[in-house]
Amino acid sequence: MANYYDIDDILAEEELVPAVFLQTANEVGIFDCADETNKVEAGTQVEMPFWLAQELYVRQAVSIKVPPYFDTKAKTRNEIGADAAHVDLRSLCPYFYNFGCKIARLIGEKTIGPLLLVAFRTRYREVLIKAHTAASIVVPKNLTLLTKEETKLYEAGQSSTAAFKKWRMGGPRLQKASVLGRKRKPVE
Amino acid sequence: MGSQSDPHAFAFSAAELEFLAEDETVEIVPNMRLEPLHLISGDFGPFRPQIATQVPLWLAVALKKRGKCTIRPPEWMSVEKLTQVLEAERDSEKFQSLPFHYVEISRLLFDHAREDIPDIYMVRSLIEDIKDVRFHKIGTGLEIISKEVTYALRLKNLSAMEANIVRPFVTQALQTFHKLNTSEAIPESGSIPSRQRQPVNQRDKRVLKGR
Amino acid sequence: MDSGDASGYSAGVDDDYESLLSTTDAELLKRAWRNEKAAPEILQFEAALVQRSREQIQLMEETVEEFSKNGVDPLTVSLYQMDLDRTLFLLRSYLRTRLQKIENYAFHIQKTTDLWNRLSKQEQNFAERCVDDMEQHLDQSVLSKLPQGFKSHLKQSSLSLADDMVPEPQLDQYVICRSKRFLGAFQLDDSGEEPVNIEANDLYALPYKSIKPLVESGQIDLV
Repeated sequence: MANYYDIDDILAEEELVPAVFLQTANEVGIFDCADETNKVEAGTQVEMPFWLAQELYVRQAVSIKVPPYFDTKAKTRNEIGADAAHVDLRSLCPYFYNFGCKIARLIGEKTIGPLLLVAFRTRYREVLIKAHTAASIVVPKNLTLLTKEETKLYEAGQSSTAAFKKWRMGGPRLQKASVLGRKRKPVE
Repeated sequence: MGSQSDPHAFAFSAAELEFLAEDETVEIVPNMRLEPLHLISGDFGPFRPQIATQVPLWLAVALKKRGKCTIRPPEWMSVEKLTQVLEAERDSEKFQSLPFHYVEISRLLFDHAREDIPDIYMVRSLIEDIKDVRFHKIGTGLEIISKEVTYALRLKNLSAMEANIVRPFVTQALQTFHKLNTSEAIPESGSIPSRQRQPVNQRDKRVLKGR
Repeated sequence: MDSGDASGYSAGVDDDYESLLSTTDAELLKRAWRNEKAAPEILQFEAALVQRSREQIQLMEETVEEFSKNGVDPLTVSLYQMDLDRTLFLLRSYLRTRLQKIENYAFHIQKTTDLWNRLSKQEQNFAERCVDDMEQHLDQSVLSKLPQGFKSHLKQSSLSLADDMVPEPQLDQYVICRSKRFLGAFQLDDSGEEPVNIEANDLYALPYKSIKPLVESGQIDLV
């Protein structure tokens, strides 16, 4: 697997999903604090991180619902349809796309894919390109709305533009590696 | 262990592109005599006073620095040619054809052979303008990706430096589009819960146990 | 995995008569360097080319030395030295780029025959040492302290069907490439997408995976 050590991939799976226990489960009272018995009855709805829900789901121990922002009836969906560029996706889910793909794939939810695509398409145009081509160093204010994936993309554009400008402005042609000319600290 | 996608892992640095551009040939007029050079990168010379000859840019700059030649700026670097390019660049959505390393070559010549370039201020500002128009177009060009999602993007007449600057952004964006598109189209393995409580298709999941 | 195209090829000299005639080793080395830098995975080691480049470098070093001894004018000497330095840079950077990839994907390369065969003998030694060091490190710092069944550095647990902890290069990554000649309609492997017309000397952004065979056969250059 290519991305086992990918921290973003790991963090994306931390996202909480609503899940319903299909069987009564012992020793997992942590999900349902109201009870002293330290067990969860079948039919109880709880929230758990995606990485856990996924494992229980494939063992048919829980059923998974999509989080509210992916819900077909929720208003987030309409907001994205109407004006995706200004929706604060980051506070909804910092890994909106990555997590969206994961959950859609797991439970076979067909409506999430198109939603992600619409969101990315609009935001790519409205937010990302402008950010990328903006001449100033001022951080545009809509940067705070960007998801983790979008921020990475934005930064990729920014840093390559900055590197080019630095080169164009001149400065030393060949940079000394920072380790050269500096004494190595002796290892204890 | 490098599994994280580093946006810079596969880009060239501006200095590396400059290095490549230094192999482009340019015409010089020596003011000294020198026997032919038989270099790894090719044979150059002989050098005779007032007799023009073709050499790679790095060689030209080396001689120029020592006051041994004048450099003849390439044809495209004239006010006349650049004015035409700028106009065409403004009038059309398309990118005009310029040398692949025009950004690097012009900077090298501005830095090392300013007195050899007629109307240097004009030339320099024309190139700046052309660069700006083109960068603006790159921005609008990038918008097109979002309108018609494609798997392949043709970057006609984009120069080495321009392509390198947009590379991290464009390649990541295309990959995201690709990913979102395919995640929509392909019915995934997990969509049908497996009957047995057998652990799944382990192929591309980080399994719980292992963490 | 993909052992299908493990056959030995040497980049780009098959049917390319024209460019064979006009392409110098300096050009070939530059191309190998660019491709290696831009490709997500390690490419076939250019053994013959590296060998020739080494010889040229050595010859040139001797020449430069001789020149300075025989009192050839300093200008000429310095020009030869510059040319030498440029070739040295290319060769070093080429080799370093490969070492970096080997370091990043040592486990993956070691267990994939096709990739393993792309390395030079020295690189294979290096890869082996990387693998040993990494194994020892993982073992001493973590794995030896884990319960039975979780001690592998390749598998998350003994239940894992595949080596699911081994980082691999992302082959679906997009690259920017250019062909010297018109390649015609080119079908990207997956999906029913329309074929792309690859024109001569134009740049294209394409998934590396889809043009991999063309890179390997030297029909397309990464830039």
